[in-house]
Amino acid sequence: MKGIEFVREYQEDIIESIPSTIIVLDRSLKILYANRNYYAKSGKKERDVVGERLERVFLPMLIEKTHIDEKIRQVFETGIPFNGDQLRYPGGLFFFYKIHPLKEVNMSIRKVVLLMEDITELTRLEEELRDSYVTLENAYAELKEEDEAKSDFISTASHELRTPLTVINSYLEMFEEGMLGELSGNQNEKLAIIRTQTDHMIKLVEDMLDTLRLESRKFKIQKLPLKLDEIAKSAVDEVSRLADLKEHTISLKVNGELPKIRGDRQRIKQVFGNLLTNAIKYTPDAGKINVELANENGHLLVSITDNGIGIKESEQEKIFEKFYTVSGKSLTRESERMGLGLTIAKGIVEAHGGKIWVKSSLNWGSTFYFTLPKGD
Amino acid sequence: MKLLIVDDAPYVLKALSDSLSAHGHEVYGAVNGEEALKKFTDVNPDIVLMDVLMPKLDGVSATRRLIERDPKARIIVVTAVGKHGLEKECIDAGASGFIMKPFKIKDLLKIINSLDQHERN
Repeated sequence: MKGIEFVREYQEDIIESIPSTIIVLDRSLKILYANRNYYAKSGKKERDVVGERLERVFLPMLIEKTHIDEKIRQVFETGIPFNGDQLRYPGGLFFFYKIHPLKEVNMSIRKVVLLMEDITELTRLEEELRDSYVTLENAYAELKEEDEAKSDFISTASHELRTPLTVINSYLEMFEEGMLGELSGNQNEKLAIIRTQTDHMIKLVEDMLDTLRLESRKFKIQKLPLKLDEIAKSAVDEVSRLADLKEHTISLKVNGELPKIRGDRQRIKQVFGNLLTNAIKYTPDAGKINVELANENGHLLVSITDNGIGIKESEQEKIFEKFYTVSGKSLTRESERMGLGLTIAKGIVEAHGGKIWVKSSLNWGSTFYFTLPKGD
Repeated sequence: MKLLIVDDAPYVLKALSDSLSAHGHEVYGAVNGEEALKKFTDVNPDIVLMDVLMPKLDGVSATRRLIERDPKARIIVVTAVGKHGLEKECIDAGASGFIMKPFKIKDLLKIINSLDQHERN
């Protein structure tokens, strides 16, 4: 037995209780039947509707506007259902309607059913949505403009800073190379301080530009076959002087034979550099920093672990944001560096199709992880 | 080597001149692209170090004009502008090298020497 057989005896109840309007008309457009919903919506009485022609029941203006009468005649002539249009009632009511032919046993059409759905609320929501969209779009355009002004500012500032830094750096190099005469031990010591501070400033200017590039999606990376363990080793070598100053020990462990990756050597080294510099900075003297490389499913996994001050759970998400520096009483002196390193590291890793994240517990240390997809 | 340094910032010009002459080069200066074109004819340098943002005639246009005049002219663009695609623009204009300010003098010397080497081979 088909499902429809079960409900045959309740058909009337179902049609009457349906929350849509159902009207049946004959060829002369006389209304033969309207369900309860129609009376509830229109406020009309059955005696003013049944047996009357459509144009006497519906508002003339409505028929003129929608040509619903012609559409009904067309369904009678062609036998093809009319699959819907919107109809606007005075007072801001919206209906969606369909006209369906009711076929007799001999396939002739003597009656059609007009189905109407109240979509006023839906239309209102749609309009609201459209309005919000426009508001949002305007706000976005405004923000974008502000963002561009900010980018221009950073770009100009970076350019303006590079010029004096070039001069300072050139003379500093001449002093360091003894081209401007022998220096005393005391002078050399002070010169070394000027050197670290100048390098710090140069790095800041470069980081500012990198951040800008990452944001504007103009960040281009090369994709060449690379050996990750070699990059890791050279990055560790580069920070060893800095680590020695704080008496840290850095170890590098490579787990098994690693396949090559495809990427940008300079940029990946920058990721190692930024993470290692942070580990060195945020670990009290004589700490341990372990770098580990492993071959995992589909990618290589790098982890850099320190036994430093750690990061509060509430701050772990934020550290990858621009200019965020982990705060803490004991750190106020050491946290002078603007927090761009992790933002840049994240940008570089993601530009390679990898991921970066941190696991950390306060006072125990942190492990930064990142993945890089294997090469071909 | 005979070097022509083109830069509108007087202290950059002085610092680079001091440093490069201390490294044994014969150094000349120009403060914009226009003056660079003139000095190039007078001095006939081996290599031109060209800034980009300068009044009167910018470095990219000056590079183009120098190469038109002498296709063998060797120009290293030395710039503080971090604009994406600038390096390609300079190379397309005919520059043989590109370096961002600030730089290590040994990195600039490396480029200068490689161009010199290239010439001899």
